[in-house]
Amino acid sequence: MKQKAPCLDALLGLVAGLGLIALYAPLLATAALSFFQIVRVRGTLGFAPFSLDPYVALLANGEILSALSTSLVVATVSSLLALVLALMFAFYFVSARRGLGIAMQIMVFLPFLLPPIITGLSLLIAFREIDLGRGLVTIIIAHVVFIVPVVYRTVLVRLQLLGSSLTEASLDLGASRVQTLRYVVLPQMRPALISGALLAFAISFDETLITLFVAGSETTLPIRLWAMMRVGFVPEINALATLIFLCTAAITFAIGLMQRAGERV
Amino acid sequence: MNISPRRDHQDLLRAGLGHALNLGLPLLFVVIPILSFVAVSFWTLQDGQILLIPTLANYRAFFTEGSYLPVYLQTVGLSLQVTLVNVALSTAIALFIFRRTPRMRFLILMSFMLPLFMSYIIKVYSIRSILGQRGLLNEAMLGLGLIDQPIEALLFSRTAIFIALAVLYLPYAILPIYLALDRIPANYLAACADLGATPLQTLRDVVLPLGRPGIAAGAVFTFILTFGDFVTPQMVGGTQGFTFGRIVFSQFGLALNWPLGSALAVILLATTLLAVALAGLSLRREHVR
Repeated sequence: MKQKAPCLDALLGLVAGLGLIALYAPLLATAALSFFQIVRVRGTLGFAPFSLDPYVALLANGEILSALSTSLVVATVSSLLALVLALMFAFYFVSARRGLGIAMQIMVFLPFLLPPIITGLSLLIAFREIDLGRGLVTIIIAHVVFIVPVVYRTVLVRLQLLGSSLTEASLDLGASRVQTLRYVVLPQMRPALISGALLAFAISFDETLITLFVAGSETTLPIRLWAMMRVGFVPEINALATLIFLCTAAITFAIGLMQRAGERV
Repeated sequence: MNISPRRDHQDLLRAGLGHALNLGLPLLFVVIPILSFVAVSFWTLQDGQILLIPTLANYRAFFTEGSYLPVYLQTVGLSLQVTLVNVALSTAIALFIFRRTPRMRFLILMSFMLPLFMSYIIKVYSIRSILGQRGLLNEAMLGLGLIDQPIEALLFSRTAIFIALAVLYLPYAILPIYLALDRIPANYLAACADLGATPLQTLRDVVLPLGRPGIAAGAVFTFILTFGDFVTPQMVGGTQGFTFGRIVFSQFGLALNWPLGSALAVILLATTLLAVALAGLSLRREHVR
């Protein structure tokens, strides 16, 4: 299908190559520095031999570890909540009157389309108005608001693909709504549900700009790292960054596989 | 299952509950917060207290006081610059992916998207350590003998913010542009070749015009994200990089002037909506022609 155009391809390839270098330089630099720390001996620069010291130090850094566990809790709770809400919204969209469904959809998508700074400060102001103190609860609410659109999108696409014939057949054969949901609809939506939840988890785990507004004294990992970096260099951060990247790469890979599997079903 | 009054009643109740949940929750957690922040922008701040006295003073301050307007214009300029460069690069990259075999496409696209899943804050930090005066880039150039003195202007400058934003938000432009190209039917391209168009003609007259919605979406994403980002400019820009987003954020932190901060945020929001509208308009004009 492609016409041959060696010059064009060479030029595009050059740009793509430079793009990849720019995108991966920060990741590779971080990973390299986590194993080979920079040392300065009498003004000249060199690399220390391979060591896992930053990784060992990381395990002893209580501040980072407690922020990490907060982030894991927030990401788990908010992606599960988002999953339930997204399912509810998706069912509503396919069953309610079109106008109402679209109104709901616009509202649900808004926080994802607006700049995060707007979502963050409007939630901050709303929380203050109802006297809800900033903490774990406000962080989770904000994250749910931000990630529901992502899960909703994934779930809705799958739901519309399913069509209504199987559901109708199940109801005709005497299954209750709950039974139909449990045994007919949900099993078929599994790839979409899992990949949606994983994506939501990844976004929540990394969310920084909205969280800065609603976090208060509770700190998630990105907020803690942000505070640490403003003060100075901490080698453990490189180690942590490398570990997180490996995990997210694995999760991304899993999502990719899952979505491909979902397409094949 | 005939219609019994009880069942009828239950269905009605269920439908009512459905509407209440599905419309009420987004209303409560999305629409009302946005409305309340817009409302706060019209309130008065007096002695650190927010008073419910309507005023336009917060908006007037934007035009008359201090450096709000100049910083706003500088930030718009910076974001437009990043948008322009990133859209150009992303179009080339998307075309590169598009011209691979279907098997390769997925792999290459994924490798461009993977950095998106690396922690945002750590990427900023890493870019900072690369650009720093004693950073990797300077040291590498010193080591190679390209420069005698470390270039100080690399970090804590407008250039640094530009580079950081461009690197951070590049994937957000690549994805929509590639997806638009991916939707072009293969037989269009075959037809072009059959009818004797050169690859460049095909590119200019068929591929790029059909990719326009993706290019517009990529431009809008990049502009919105770079214009609203307040952490990157602070991390790599230092005192030099005072962008509009940072001013807005500081009103909710140290400066603690929520009404002014809200008014500035309304202006930020209006600017991004304007960007969306302009992109939509440019697509529609193309459509009519």
